Formats: sequence, structure tokens, C-alpha cells
Amino acid sequence: MNEHEPLIRAEGLTRTFRVEESLEGLLGSFKNLFSTRHRLITAVNNVSFDIHRGEFVGYVGENGAGKSTTIKMLTGILTPTAGRVEVADIVPYEDRAANAFNIGVVFGQRTQLWWDLPVRDSFDLLRSIYRVPDDLFTRNYRELAEALHLEPLLTLPVRKLSLGQRMRCDLAAALLHGPKILFLDEPTIGLDLIAKDKMRAMLRRINQTRGVTIILTTHDMDDIEALCGRIMIIDKGSIAYDGSTERLKREHVRHKALEVEFHDYNPEVVAIPALKLLRREGNKQWLRYDPKAGTMHEVISALFRDYCVKDLSIHEPKVEDIVKAIYEQGAAPKAGAAPVHA
Amino acid sequence: MRDAAGEAAQVPGVAWPLVGALPPGARVYAKFAIRSFQKQLAYKFEYFVGVFNGLLFIFIFTSLWRAIYANLESPPAAFDLEGITAFAVFAMIVRISMTQDDMSTVGKIRSGAIALDMVKPMSYFGMMLSECLGQTMFHWFTRVIPVLAVSLLAFDAALPRAWENWALLAIAWPLGYLIMFMVNYLFALLAFWFIETFSFHLMKYGLFTIFAGGIVPVDFFPEWLKPLIESLPFMYILYTPTALFTGHIAGADALRLILLQGAWAVALGMACTVMWRAAQRKLVVQGG
Repeated sequence: MNEHEPLIRAEGLTRTFRVEESLEGLLGSFKNLFSTRHRLITAVNNVSFDIHRGEFVGYVGENGAGKSTTIKMLTGILTPTAGRVEVADIVPYEDRAANAFNIGVVFGQRTQLWWDLPVRDSFDLLRSIYRVPDDLFTRNYRELAEALHLEPLLTLPVRKLSLGQRMRCDLAAALLHGPKILFLDEPTIGLDLIAKDKMRAMLRRINQTRGVTIILTTHDMDDIEALCGRIMIIDKGSIAYDGSTERLKREHVRHKALEVEFHDYNPEVVAIPALKLLRREGNKQWLRYDPKAGTMHEVISALFRDYCVKDLSIHEPKVEDIVKAIYEQGAAPKAGAAPVHA
Repeated sequence: MRDAAGEAAQVPGVAWPLVGALPPGARVYAKFAIRSFQKQLAYKFEYFVGVFNGLLFIFIFTSLWRAIYANLESPPAAFDLEGITAFAVFAMIVRISMTQDDMSTVGKIRSGAIALDMVKPMSYFGMMLSECLGQTMFHWFTRVIPVLAVSLLAFDAALPRAWENWALLAIAWPLGYLIMFMVNYLFALLAFWFIETFSFHLMKYGLFTIFAGGIVPVDFFPEWLKPLIESLPFMYILYTPTALFTGHIAGADALRLILLQGAWAVALGMACTVMWRAAQRKLVVQGG
């Protein structure tokens, strides 16, 4: 396989589901017994994308937008209704087992470890399932045990682990066979802040040092901002945005905001044209910065020259706000839909 | 099996030397079986109740047959009292020896946990079958042997002397076991299509209880019902191994039953493959 060819290639991927429609009311319930009306729901509609080796992609969408349906087609669990997908030259749903050797999967809500077994026994089972050669297993196992601080956990049965500990073990379990691609579904869900940070640091390291391509689905935009160079937003089954996270911020910028704390006197009006009052509270003001009316340098110089500023912070627009705006607009901003590999 | 905490850094997996001797492809399934065996050990109470239940049922059925036969003017052609007692004892023991957990796949489909098994490079069928075998090994040690030992002493049952009976059992038991597993598997896969499968399972239990021949041997059913019973897989699960082992059926008839068992195993095997593929096309994993 060519280095420069995409590792994952999806073309016109579509999946429809037939769902039963239930009639309402008591009479309707009886009618349901004898006739079932079906309705077709298109969970994923003509989705195309390429993912290259080493990318860290955030795959984002609201509940029911088609995220997990897409992931299930990429992992070979689900067969698409139309379209085609190749993962490392394998069509996953045609050869689920061959595809499985190439991928690792972590579902935040479920564990792939065996509930009643000590962690190390689970690892040993996985070693057999993936037929990992001894030397490779030993190397991966040592590395992961060290990086994820697993030593004290290995002899414990999985049911005795805390959520954060379990997630670390699950992550190790998904990487023991040295997969090319790692699918992560909500890997930080339910974790406390420190555990979240640690988890993110580990994922970053896995992506950078091991060169594992990572596809992350999450509702936590902070995960995306911290980790993903590229973001794909799916809305109502279609890709609403696919491009670098940076570009998303740049193009859909809602303005940066300044949070200014004044010394003892909070001015009625800050007379700088590029700044517009958003909110005031005690000694603080939140001001929206309009880049068209002056550079940040000019604005800050003026602030410090004309006012008694005690403290100042600049708030970058948050990806979360942008993504929310895109959901609200529907799949409209097609301008950003062309795949870009930054 | 457990190492001291100080050795925790060591790589796991050297614990099962026998398993290590198997070819890599088979090793994983053996491990699943062993793991499943281990799991059973946790349920001590279940174990004692299981032995007690087995003996209780044998007692009930042998007493029942004795009472029925006492009121008959002449015993039926198929079994004399000694024959029916032996049949009742061994049918129950065969049944215990085939205990299978038929709900775990249903649970996995319902909870969506089956997705995690499907992203592993192994056959789901093979994985479930090996887990099932692990359970069965456990039942052999903990239930079949004690129940058999007590039965030989307490009820008028004797193990057959002829090697032919044992040879027939050695073929008919695994085939019966496999047929039962596949019937359970097919019914379990229905959960992909229907949210509520309880009524299917109830139907299966009903058919099994009546037609597997574990309680009333097939011989005692009316002639008009026999074609139906013979065209269902159930009698090949319990009745066939029991009848061959006790010598109730021998010679060409025994051979014919074994061939039918084989045919059923092949047919059900194909059905399992087809249904699994269909399920994969249909699959809606619950809970995202």
C-alpha cells in the first residue's frame, strides 16, 4: 500500500434502516398487531471521506446524526446499504475478521475486558484472539503497561476497577495487537478532570509516537480541541464539515472576546472602536473584538494606555460554539465540506 | 494460576501449558472454554442445588414409571420396567450433561455488547461454542459424575457392559450436543429481528421438553405424531444418545439414527451460517 494513499476511503457510504411505525392509541395498538407499517430512515446518507495514515480525526455529531452507524460500517459490524468503504485495503463488512486485525476499538460505555477476570488474563485472551507473536506482545505489553501505569491493576478483576482505571486498561487492550487504526467512542465519558487530561495526553502520545491513526467520536468538544487536527461533523446523515480544526475556527469564527479586569474603576464605556461590550460584572468587562476595526496589538495598546487595566485575558472562540452553530444551520455550510488535509 | 503481586510486571499467558501445545488457531477457543469453566466455579450454591435437582428429578420419574407400570396388565412392547427405569435415569443424566446457557447471546444482542465481539478476529459461533463447552466440562465434573454415582447405587440402573454402547454414546452425545447448541444459537439470533423473544424461547422449551424424549420416550407417542417428532431436531438431542447408550436401539436402527443426527448437524450448521450473515446485514446494535 502506498504511503500517500488514504488508509480509509469511504465513497458514497449510505445506510438506511427500516423502522416499524406504531399507530397511536388503543385502537392503533391493536392494528399494530396485524399490520406493520415501515418507514425508511437514512442514518448515513452518501458520505465520502478519505483518512490518511497518522491523522487524528474527530468525528462529531448529535445523537442519531449517523456517527456510530458510520463507525460500525468502518469496523465491519454493519453492512452499508450503498456505497463502499475500504480500511487498509480491506472491505470491512466483507472480511470482518481480517479487518479486525487492523483496528482497535474502545467504547467508553462498554468494556471489552472480561468482567470477572483479572486484567492480565483478559490481555492474555486478547493475545490469543489476535494471535500476537510473543516478541511483539511482550514489547507492546511493556510499553503500554508503563505508559498507562497498569502494573498495580493487572491482578485485579475488571469489576473492581474505577472507571478511569478501566478506561486505561481498555485502551491498552485495544492496542496490544498493534493496530493501524484506533476507533474511540467517547473515551473520556464519565472521567474526572484529571483522568480526562491524562487520557488525552496518552491518546496524543499514541498518535504521535506510535503513528496510530485515530478516529474519535465524542460529544466533548474539549476532547476535539485538545486532540484532533481534523474534524468531521455529521448532521442528519450528511457531512456538514470536513477539514482542519484550525480552519473551522478561522472560517466560522465567532469573534474572540477580551475579559478585562480594571483596577478600581470600571468605565461606563470603553471607547475603542474594535471592542463592543458583551457583559459587565463588578470590576470586569467582557468585550467582543472585531478584527476588521483594528489589530489586536492596537486594541491592547489602547486599553493599557487609556485605562487602568489590572488583568486581561483573551478568549479564543470555542469549537463547541462553532459546532453548535453548524448544527443549528443544518448541513448548510457546504463551503467547508470539501475534504482538506492540513 | 495467580502470581504473587511482586511478579505482576511479568507478561501473562504462560499459565496454561496444555493450551500452549495447540495450534494458534485453536488455542483461543480452548482458552475461552477454560475461562468459562473457571467462571462456573464461582457459583457453589448453584452446584449443590444442581446435584440435588438432578437426583430429585430422577427419583420422581423412576417412581412415576414404577407406579404406571404397577397398574399395567402387561408392559408395553417398547420397554419393560427395568428398561424404562434405565432410560429415565440416563435420559436425565444426558440432559444434565448437556446443560447449556442459551440466553447469553440474547443478552449481548439486547445490550449491544455483541458489537465488541464482532470487532474481534474470531468466529462468534466458535467463541460461543467453546464457552458452552467450558460450562459443560464443569457440569461433567460437578454434576454428571455425582448424580451418576448416586443413581447407580440408589436407582436400579446399571452402566452397559458392551463396548458398542459406549462407542455409540461417544458419537451420539457430541452430535446431540452440537444439535442442541445450534438450535439454541438459531433461536438466540432471532433477537436481532425481534426485540422480545421470550415467546420463541418458551416455544423452544416446550418443544424440547415434549419431543426431545427426555421425559417420555419417543416410543410412547401415538403413531400419527411420530413423523412430526422425527422431522424435528429435538429427539436427536436427548432421545438418540440415551436410547443408543442404554441399548434400547441397536444395530442398523442405531446407525440410521446417527446418520440422521449427522444430517441434522450439517443442516443446522448451514442454517447458522446463513442466519448469522442475514443478521449482519440486518443488524441494529441496540444502544448506539
